Amino acid sequence: MASIARKNLLEDIPRFLVAQAGIMFAVSLVTIQTGIFNGFTRTSTNLIDGSTADIWVASTAMAHLDLTLPLPVSQIVQAQQVEGVERAEALIIKGPIWRSVDGKIEPVRMIGLDPQGELFKVVNITQGSVKALSEPYTVMMDVTDLKTLNIQKVGDGGELNSLPAKVVGFTKGNHSITSNAFMFTSLENANTYINSGISSNLYCKTQKGSEGLNCTTTYEKTKPAETVQTSPNATPDSAPTPKPLAGSDLISYILIQAKSGQNLQQLKQRLETALPNTRAYTQAEIIDWNQKYWQERTGVGFVLGLGAVVGIIVGVVIVSQILYSSVSTHLKEFGTLKAMGASDWVIYGVIVEQALWMAVLGYLPSMALCLGLGTWTAATQGILILITPMTAIAVLGLTVVMCVGSSIFAIQRVTRVDPAIVFKA
Amino acid sequence: MTASQTQQTKFTQLHRQPASRSIPLVNTKNQAITATGIKMVFQSGSEQFQALKGIDLEVKSGDIHLLMGPSGSGKTTLLSVLAGILTPTAGKVCLLGEEITRLSAAKLARFRARNIGFIFQGFNLFPALTAAENVEVALSLKGIRGRAARHQAQILLEQVELGAIAQRLGRDLSGGQKQRVAIARALAGNPQLIMADEPTAALDSRNGHAVIELLRQLAKEGGCTVLMVTHDPRIKDVADRILYLEDGCLINTPQPKGDGMIGSQTRY
Repeated sequence: MASIARKNLLEDIPRFLVAQAGIMFAVSLVTIQTGIFNGFTRTSTNLIDGSTADIWVASTAMAHLDLTLPLPVSQIVQAQQVEGVERAEALIIKGPIWRSVDGKIEPVRMIGLDPQGELFKVVNITQGSVKALSEPYTVMMDVTDLKTLNIQKVGDGGELNSLPAKVVGFTKGNHSITSNAFMFTSLENANTYINSGISSNLYCKTQKGSEGLNCTTTYEKTKPAETVQTSPNATPDSAPTPKPLAGSDLISYILIQAKSGQNLQQLKQRLETALPNTRAYTQAEIIDWNQKYWQERTGVGFVLGLGAVVGIIVGVVIVSQILYSSVSTHLKEFGTLKAMGASDWVIYGVIVEQALWMAVLGYLPSMALCLGLGTWTAATQGILILITPMTAIAVLGLTVVMCVGSSIFAIQRVTRVDPAIVFKA
Repeated sequence: MTASQTQQTKFTQLHRQPASRSIPLVNTKNQAITATGIKMVFQSGSEQFQALKGIDLEVKSGDIHLLMGPSGSGKTTLLSVLAGILTPTAGKVCLLGEEITRLSAAKLARFRARNIGFIFQGFNLFPALTAAENVEVALSLKGIRGRAARHQAQILLEQVELGAIAQRLGRDLSGGQKQRVAIARALAGNPQLIMADEPTAALDSRNGHAVIELLRQLAKEGGCTVLMVTHDPRIKDVADRILYLEDGCLINTPQPKGDGMIGSQTRY
C-alpha cells in the first residue's frame, strides 16, 4: 500500500518545511546543550586523563581540581615510605596572572609538573617538548589561547605574576570551559611564580590642620627572596633562577604509582593514615568527584538541562500542531478509511508513521548541523561540543519519542471523528 | 467484439473472481439487507431528535435500491445505520445474514472491510495519492497488498475507464474521474454490498450517466446489491426498488417495476 503518511506529509511542501525547521530547532537545541554539557564534563577532568597515576592524594578540603588547599612537599617523602607505593610525584595547579607584552592581564591555569616525571604527561603537544620546561621561566600553552594571551609563536613571552615567562611549546585540546587558559611549566618554575608577585605598601600620615589622613599606596614588583637564587644568566630583568622544591614548599597534589598487584583501596587507606588532612582518590574517583562538583554543586548542569527541556517543549508544540493540522485537513479521508473498515490501529499507524517520518527527516540534518558546528567550535573557539555516538542515539530516541508523543493529540482528534462525516458532502 | 463489450467482459470476469481472504457470508434467505424496528435518536443537550422512527425493510441480493426523500428525512442516517457506521438506538440490522448490530466495533469494521463498498458524494479520495494508490488502500484493508494489489487496482481502474490515468494524483482528477476512482475503490475486493451516497450529485450529465451505467452493471452483472441515497431522478430508471423516507419514516410509493409497496410503515 502506498504510504498515506509520507504522501500526506509531503503533500504541502511549505508546511512540511516549516515543521521540519521546528523539529530541527528542537533537535539542535537538545543536541548542542547535551554536547556542551558532555564537553564541559569531559574537559573539566581532561588534566586527570593525562595522568597515569593510580592514586591522587589531595587535601581533605578539595572542592574540585582547581580549588584545593596546599600540601607540603615533605608529604611526598612520607608518601614514598608508605608500603605499596612505587613512586610519588608532585603536581601544582594554581591560578596566577598572565601579563602579555601589550600589558593586558589574564588569569591562567598554571600546571606545575616534573618534566622528567612519569605520572603526569602533557598530552597533545603540537610544537616543542616537555623537556624544554626544565629551563627557568619556560611555559607551554594551548593553541586555543594564543589570541587571548597575545602569543604568536614559540619564543614569544609575557609575565606570570610579574616574573618572565617564555613560550617553548604548544599543545592542542588542553582547554576547559570551566577554567582559564592552561599553562604548563615545571614544578620549580611554578613554585617560583606562585611565590612572586606585586607587593604594595600603604603609607599614611596625619597632616597639620586637617582631621583626615593623607595616604599613598606604592606597588612594587617583588622577587621571591626565599625561593630563588640569583643567576648570572637570568632574564633581562635579572629574575632569580628557580630552585628545587624545599620540604616547606607547597604543592597541590601528590600523584602515586602503586607497586604491581597492590589493592588500591587498601593503599588509599594507608596513604590517608600516613598523610594527615589528606584524602586519596583513585583516578576514576577523582574524575567522578570533579564531574559531580560541576554537575551538581554548580548551576551548569541545571542550566544546560533546562535549555534541552526547552528544546523538547518547542519540538513537542511544533510537531503536535503540524500533526493536528494535517489530521484535521484529512479528517474526511480518515473517516472514509474508518467507514471502509480500517481499524483504529490502522489509522493510528498512519499518524504515528507520519510522526516517525518527521522525526527522522528532522533528526538527520540537525545532527549533521550539530556535528559541523561542534567541529567548528572546537577548531576555532576551543569549546568542545561533545556529541558521542551514545548522545546521537539518545537524541534520536528522544526525537522519536517527542514526535510520536506529539501525535497523541492528532490521534485523539481522529478517535473522536463522527464516522457519519463521510456521508457529508 | 466491440470496445464496450470488452469492457463489459472484463468487468464481469473481475467480479466473478473469489474474494481473497474474505469470508463471504451465505444469505440463505436471499436477502442482502434486513432491518427491523430501526430507531435513531440524536441527543443534543437536553433536546432529542428522532431521525428514524422504526424502519423495517428488506433488500434482495442483486437489487438496486434507492433511498429517496426530502432533505432532513433521514436518508443518510438510515444509510449509515444499514452500513454499520452508526449504531441504531433500537432495532436490528442483518447484512448478508449477519446481525451487525450485535457485532463489536472491531468485528463490525472487519465486516465492512470484507463485504461493503462505499461511494460518497464528496468522493473522499486521498488527494496526495494517485488514483491507483487510492484503490490499493481499499484493497489493503481486505488483505490484498503488494503486486497483487497493484494489478487489481489497475484492472479496477480500467473497468471504470481510467486505466490510462492510474498514476495521476487524486487532487488532479476531474469530478467525474474522482467519482469513477471512488467506484473502483468501492469495487475493491468484490464486495457483496455497495452503499452509495448521492454518487451523481457532484457530476455533470455525461459523467452522471456513466456512473449510473457502472452501478447498473455492478448489480446486474456483478451480482452486487446496491443501496443508494439519491435525489437524481435519472437513477430511477435502473432501480429495482425505491424507498421514500419522510420525517424518519418509510412511506408507500409506486415502484418503478410495478412490484407494489415496500416498507412496513406507510403514510399517505
